[in-house]
Amino acid sequence: MITTNDLTKKYGGHIALDNLNLNVKEGEIYCLLGANGAGKTTTINLLLGFIEPTSGSAFINQLNVHENPKATKQFLAYIPENLMLYPSLTAVENLDYFSGIAGKKPTTTALKGFLEDAGLQPEAYDKRTSTFSKGMRQKVGIAIALAKDAKVLLLDEPTSGLDPKASNEFGNLLQKLRKKGVATLMATHDLFRAKEVATHIGIMKGGQLKQQFMADDISLSQLEKAYLNTMDYKETVS
Amino acid sequence: MLRPNFKYELKQLLRSNWLWLLCIILISLFSFATYNGLKKVEAREALIASAKAKTQENDTKMLKTLDSLEQGLEVHLKPWDLPSDPIVVGSDHPRVAAMPAADFTFLATGQSDLFAHYKKPKVYGGGIIEDFTEMTSPVQLLFGSFDLAFVIVFLLPLLIIAFSYNVLSAERESGTLRLLAAQPIGIRTWVLQKLLIRFFWLSVLVLVSLIGVLLVFKADPFTNISGLLGLLGLVLVYMLFWFALAFLVNLWVGSSAKNAVAMLGLWIGFVLLVPSMLNQLGTTIYPMPSRTLMINELRARQADATERQDEILDNYLRDHPEYAVNDTTETRNFWHGYMASQNLLRDEIKPVTDRYNAQLKKQQRWVNRFKWLSPAVTIQESLNKLAGTATSDYENYREQVLAFSEEWRAHFMPFLYNNQKFAKADYPDLPRFEYQKQDQSQMASIPMLLLISLVLFGLGFLASRNMKSGGILNQA
Repeated sequence: MITTNDLTKKYGGHIALDNLNLNVKEGEIYCLLGANGAGKTTTINLLLGFIEPTSGSAFINQLNVHENPKATKQFLAYIPENLMLYPSLTAVENLDYFSGIAGKKPTTTALKGFLEDAGLQPEAYDKRTSTFSKGMRQKVGIAIALAKDAKVLLLDEPTSGLDPKASNEFGNLLQKLRKKGVATLMATHDLFRAKEVATHIGIMKGGQLKQQFMADDISLSQLEKAYLNTMDYKETVS
Repeated sequence: MLRPNFKYELKQLLRSNWLWLLCIILISLFSFATYNGLKKVEAREALIASAKAKTQENDTKMLKTLDSLEQGLEVHLKPWDLPSDPIVVGSDHPRVAAMPAADFTFLATGQSDLFAHYKKPKVYGGGIIEDFTEMTSPVQLLFGSFDLAFVIVFLLPLLIIAFSYNVLSAERESGTLRLLAAQPIGIRTWVLQKLLIRFFWLSVLVLVSLIGVLLVFKADPFTNISGLLGLLGLVLVYMLFWFALAFLVNLWVGSSAKNAVAMLGLWIGFVLLVPSMLNQLGTTIYPMPSRTLMINELRARQADATERQDEILDNYLRDHPEYAVNDTTETRNFWHGYMASQNLLRDEIKPVTDRYNAQLKKQQRWVNRFKWLSPAVTIQESLNKLAGTATSDYENYREQVLAFSEEWRAHFMPFLYNNQKFAKADYPDLPRFEYQKQDQSQMASIPMLLLISLVLFGLGFLASRNMKSGGILNQA
């Protein structure tokens, strides 16, 4: 579902992403870990077609992102670190709007169903989103993905700033989507959440994918150690 | 994408109170401007009516006097005031040559601050060039009139700027743009749709409030349907031009603050600077001859003609044997010489006045050639034409008055030189002035502005063709 072949992005002399090769299949959640500037967000921006790669290619559902920008966006949903909605519209209206511009025409009942599946409390459906917390907005973002019937979910630091309960709920939602066969690529700093939700974990540094693991093959402490080793914190840890 | 954009754009505008605010502003501006315009028209019509009533009153007195004279009754008037003298009728009982207001005159003051709307050409005096340089309040001239044309040309673009400058940047700044850009849509098309939807709603507001205000103020817009459609068409294309500029700025510039500055800069450029520069360049390239020198030259020639009145009269009668038959030296008076000299003088000064007028026309032609550089100039001129207050309307009126002035003088020449008295029976034959409004199409501006707007929209697409979403997402 998500494939990158030697994907590279340079800004002048600075290499933001260096020959990234990734493959995220249906029903997989791939967490990209790394410090700021490691290339996680650049990867997501390239997959969204927001920026052009210097070399290499990115594919969503076997379509080249940069050759078919609109077609690939039919299949994907994106939740940025701070998902913002139209504050003067309600949750249902925001969902209707974003589904509508994506070419879907769900009924109001269906819209409310998506919000319910995303875990939003029913009393919030018809409230303007200007009063929504970040967690509630993220749930509307998930509902947008559901309404769009997205096959690929791209998440950029989705749990940063969320309280543990909201973060846990978000993790559960991702698991639900995984079971529906959605391929998810999540950029995060949160090792604990990554270990909790991911099927695969990759650690990036300086634009390169340094290590990859199957989440089930590694414990949280091993992941932490591997992360810190990659970040050159070896001395501090020992 | 259009359906959800249309539906939710309206919801957001209504909930943010933008449309209500615009509605109040538009109704207030249109009301005040229409009221002002109608008051001006009323004042103009009242002046003309008063002048005509006075003329009617004088005519009644004159006819009574003529009747008494013809019945051999005694009248208590000085010999030089008797209306049986044709020169007295030509001088003291002139006709009113009025330029009545058109259906949409309240729309644009135009040149009406500079020119009078009625003249009373006489057989002698300043009739040679007619004085068309009267002015009203210089303060009003300095600030302009608050009429509908002012609201449309100057203020409406400011409302459009406030309504459209941040369509894209607000999305970027509020964070919704990243979510939008992740949808299978083109951001440029999305911006275009948002602006066209706003154009649509603002157009509805403008047209409804404008027609509503005109009806409330009893300006009777439906009595001249083609004029009304012309007005609405002009307003719509002018608004479209500003929305097209907003499209360019939204895609090209960046943050809301920069967009606002850019749009205001364009407003200053198109509404204030370009018209002023066109005018300045016109007067520099085609400088007007000094009016003072022209007047001095006219006076010198007049003085010369006065000195040579006898000689001129002899020449005149030689050229008009039909008058010479009745000429006897005894019956000659001041007027015989004076009128003959005036005829000659008119021929002599024609090149001087023609030179002045030709230069003025060159200036106007120059401005006309480049008026497309400023849609404000184009629209103002079209509104003035619709209102019948354009330079060309006053030029047309001036020419008609001069022709009538000529006809008025010529009417009394046979009386004067045949030594014939003016009788009551001659009254119905007095020349009358009927202003003929020239047919001017103000619609040429509509396709021109439409074309300019389409070019701007096309430029927006072309210029941002290579700008990927990332560029649009990260502009600052």
